[in-house]
Amino acid sequence: MIQESILIGPQVVLILAIAILVGSLLPGFERKVQARIQQRIGPPILTPGFWTLFKFAYKKKMHPNSPMPSLYVSLLPISISLLLTILLFSSPPFIRLFPAQGVVQHTQTAFSATAWFTVLGWSSVVAVVGLLKVEELLYVLIGSLSQSVLSVGMPIPDLARGAKVLGFRREYMEQHSAVRAFKMIGIGSFPIYITLIVPFALAKSVFVEDLIRTQNPGWMASGTFGLSLATLPRSPNILTFPGAIASIAYFVGFMILLNEKPFNILKAKMDVIEGPLLEYGSVYRTFVYMLREAAMFVLASVFVTFFVGIPLDPFQPLLLAIHLLLIFVFIAFEAVMAAFSPILTFRQIYPISFTFSAIAAFALLLAAVM
Amino acid sequence: MVEEAKVVEKEVPIGIFHPALIEPWRIRFFVSDEVVKDCEITLNPAHRGLERIMEGKPYEKAAVMTEKICGICSSSHLWNSTKMVEMGLKIHVPDRAQYIRTIVQEIQRTTSHLIFLGHALEIVGHETFAMRAFLIREMFMDLLYYISGNRVQPSAQILGGVRPRCDIPPSLGRVILETVDRGEDAYTKFVERLLADPLVMSRVTGVGILDYNTAMRLHTVGPTARASGVKFDWRKDPVQNPAYQAFDFNVVVLDWCDTKARVATRALEVFEQFKILRQAVKNMPDGPVIDRSWKMGRMDFTDSYFEAPRGELYHSTSLDDFGRIRHYKIRTPSLTNNASMEEACIGDHLTDAVLTIASCDPCLSCTNRFTVVDLGRDKTRVMTGVEIIGKYGRRRRR
Repeated sequence: MIQESILIGPQVVLILAIAILVGSLLPGFERKVQARIQQRIGPPILTPGFWTLFKFAYKKKMHPNSPMPSLYVSLLPISISLLLTILLFSSPPFIRLFPAQGVVQHTQTAFSATAWFTVLGWSSVVAVVGLLKVEELLYVLIGSLSQSVLSVGMPIPDLARGAKVLGFRREYMEQHSAVRAFKMIGIGSFPIYITLIVPFALAKSVFVEDLIRTQNPGWMASGTFGLSLATLPRSPNILTFPGAIASIAYFVGFMILLNEKPFNILKAKMDVIEGPLLEYGSVYRTFVYMLREAAMFVLASVFVTFFVGIPLDPFQPLLLAIHLLLIFVFIAFEAVMAAFSPILTFRQIYPISFTFSAIAAFALLLAAVM
Repeated sequence: MVEEAKVVEKEVPIGIFHPALIEPWRIRFFVSDEVVKDCEITLNPAHRGLERIMEGKPYEKAAVMTEKICGICSSSHLWNSTKMVEMGLKIHVPDRAQYIRTIVQEIQRTTSHLIFLGHALEIVGHETFAMRAFLIREMFMDLLYYISGNRVQPSAQILGGVRPRCDIPPSLGRVILETVDRGEDAYTKFVERLLADPLVMSRVTGVGILDYNTAMRLHTVGPTARASGVKFDWRKDPVQNPAYQAFDFNVVVLDWCDTKARVATRALEVFEQFKILRQAVKNMPDGPVIDRSWKMGRMDFTDSYFEAPRGELYHSTSLDDFGRIRHYKIRTPSLTNNASMEEACIGDHLTDAVLTIASCDPCLSCTNRFTVVDLGRDKTRVMTGVEIIGKYGRRRRR
């Protein structure tokens, strides 16, 4: 037990380090794919995600224009922490000191006793969905607390004589964006939350470890630091019919949750610019980039774990490499989709979200009866 | 009959600094939820006072300044300005010079329409299409460079013809024809893909409605008016624009009246420009490119109208005995289209409204000269449409 507990710390640190480092490559990779589609060279892969963090971290500190600046700037680290916690929850513990003793016994002994994030069953669909929801809600808070100079705050005599002074409430564009964020919570996030349940319905359990065991029993029986082909998944969810159509709905939900084109009306450049994130500058901008990188990595990693059956295991080099490769493939799909899409307004988002929610619900129904 | 009450929930102002607005202007949207109920556009932040600066200057200096009014339609301003003085002083322009002027102008019109398409698609959010438009545009920017030595300000037109450095030898003519062929191939594929893209079309179809009657009432000009079914193009006017009468081309008129129509009108006009370019290069007469036998002198107020890429461009001036500017008046197409933009975006979603305004292709560096500053009463105001027409020009003939 002591040995297992000692290994938990390095596991968590390794997972977070991989998430932050690999996540910092994803924006550059995404931009590179889009640039190639647009017949441009594009930026160096490290620049948009990695060097940008340092660039903004060393800029002169700016204080955001917000009614509650301390809360406003602290919401970003909270969001990043939530996302990384989701990553930990979606990765079952990796202590496998007694692999020869069999899968069931292994699960019962090593898992819940040692890994802090499985306490009270947190490594489950409930925790993942719940934390994602909280992360979404933070966008509403961030938008409500931002008051940039670019709209109402602009020192221009709007209400001069001769202007259309109608006496209405004047709203900052970030606040309008917060309203949009709230709408997206209500409408846009249905596809991903329904599809997140599909693999669990296929596994007939709410726990991540059971989800992986049904797809990839070889990994559960393998030893630490293994390099065996037996650890590859035998029956990934994505190859089942409900899993396949749920994957498509998950992808759409991923784009919505990431506020990526065509679903980025929350921060559409043509009206609300960066939306809630407009007032973050200097080191806080670093957090904005980290937030996006974390969201990209975590949601892609969750997909690979839940639908392909390959968990993020830093002690299995082969599986780790495949897991990261699949994350890059997932992001490549996202980049292609974004490159060929305009920004959609709610007129288009409502029917699209409804369609994919229906697809996800159909997949869930199939998974439940299978 | 009970009129529907205008229910407005809040005001969302944007600008004057905004990534969707290339130039500084202020837009106040009055919205209910996401739907725009009313809109107010303020144009004053980029006022440069060019007309005042021109006063008292020799015309040759003022002509250079007219070209600096705009970076996208610089050739239109310069040609209209020289045309005005040529009409006033009855200066003869050689045929070859007229052809070269037309070539430069139509190449720049092509670049202008392509930058419009790129910008509109950037606002739609489709980066790939936008980049493609800018990529195709580069071919024609290069042509401007080959002809004049400059990409943005060709400075081709001078009184009596074109600058000798802008003459087009047969070898350059072949380059122009080859580039037009290549450009047309790429552009045709681009337009076909654009019009076949369901997502982009869903953004532009049925939004930003500006019907024929409203367009006429608000004195809408250029492709914006032609997209509402108004058939008018100053290039077809033999008095104001004799240079264009040698060419066979169509005026593109659509009656869809929405944002898609405004995008498509400009997209289809580019093909007509290719047609003009081919005719101009193939049929270019021999002879001098400039006639220097004119003499500068007194000129009464002379009006000149030209079809700039955005529509009707009006210049008017008079010269004193020494050829100096007495008073210069310019009315750009974006000014008259301003009211149309405010009207067209009513009923759109907020995100669509910005696109609707952009689809009217506003160019504010040309336009910002209509704020009245009353120092005595310490206030400013924007001139009304009636005042502007009264001060800066009459309504055009239909």
